[in-house]
Amino acid sequence: MTQTTQSAGGPDYAALIQSIAQRRDREAFAALFGHFAPRVKAWMLRGGVNPTAAEELAQETMLSVWRKADLFDPARAGASTWIFTIARNLRIDAMRRERHPSDLMPDPSEEPDPPAQADRVIAMSQQEIRIRSALSLLPPEQAEVIHKAFFEDKVHAEIEKELGIPLGTVKSRLRLAMTRLRAALGDLA
Amino acid sequence: MIAHHPSEATLAAYAAGTLPEALALVAATHLSHCATCRKTLSTLEATGGALLEDLPPVPLSIDALDRLLGRMDQPAPPPPPILNPELPAPLNRVALGRWWPVGPGVRYRPMQSSGAAWGGLVLAQPGRSLPRHGHAGRELTCVLSCAFADQDGTFAAGDLSEPGDNHDQPPAVIGVQPCLCVIASEGMRLRGLLGFAQRIIGR
Ligand SMILES: [Zn+2]
Repeated sequence: MTQTTQSAGGPDYAALIQSIAQRRDREAFAALFGHFAPRVKAWMLRGGVNPTAAEELAQETMLSVWRKADLFDPARAGASTWIFTIARNLRIDAMRRERHPSDLMPDPSEEPDPPAQADRVIAMSQQEIRIRSALSLLPPEQAEVIHKAFFEDKVHAEIEKELGIPLGTVKSRLRLAMTRLRAALGDLA
Repeated sequence: MIAHHPSEATLAAYAAGTLPEALALVAATHLSHCATCRKTLSTLEATGGALLEDLPPVPLSIDALDRLLGRMDQPAPPPPPILNPELPAPLNRVALGRWWPVGPGVRYRPMQSSGAAWGGLVLAQPGRSLPRHGHAGRELTCVLSCAFADQDGTFAAGDLSEPGDNHDQPPAVIGVQPCLCVIASEGMRLRGLLGFAQRIIGR
């Protein structure tokens, strides 16, 4: 295989995270910050976080990227996916304050760890690329439930009310969307 | 072998971080047992990553990076303490109340959680029924040990029950050992004695 781990034309963000892990590379960090911090801030704003807190959470997310870079496993998740999960956990924390509910997320270190193989690393960066293209091809009504789930702090009852469709329909649209995403991943999932 | 899983909608809310805490704890308990759902979760998280990547960026203040570079050598905060070493990982840091009898052969131990759902542990003796809520909101139950059965089949350790609206038959503990579950619900009221206890205890 001659594929590289780079996403279409952009820098290899996974390699930048690894460079932080190996060398505390501040230049790599600045490059990651420039790309991801404004996107994390945008995601926070879409979820209803106020602008001051969104800015703060974007910075906290990048601080976690710096601190946890050695936990990043490119065979397990692509760079955007990993940073998304950090941002998500920090938003959960911010909403709950008194505890650290990011610990609700299963600790990857407790799962059996498959050996990181070069082709698996490529697979994970390919996974993000394939998912992006599959998302752009989803029928509008399926894309809508996925977007609402990820961008708006809505429980299903609210999605149901807003779209004017029964909960069963929300659930079945999500199921159809997942079937398509899984199919797009094929052997990579 | 895990036979009963949460819906994709529940896993999507979990991946997006919008599932209320008590329900997320039950889902996390199942995920710690279930490789199939961990795989679905990783596809959903990759979806979150792809959506993040495609978002139009919103610039931070001009000195944001410099301010952050000044803080980067501060140590990370310590993880929260393990409060319940006897429970599996997703539940071992959760603050739990005392056990309450909520009927013959059934006890309930509320867990501290924020958000629009509440939950706790339920321990039911063989032959007894687990409480089930009215028909408002989502409800999740994950078995920690032994088993119960309802109209959807038999639920053993790791299995997750996410009943639809047409569930009336309460789940009954099968076998000769008491069944320990973690439950969570968005419903306002539980039926029967557990509902009564819940109203006394508060959430
Ligand atoms: Zn499962």
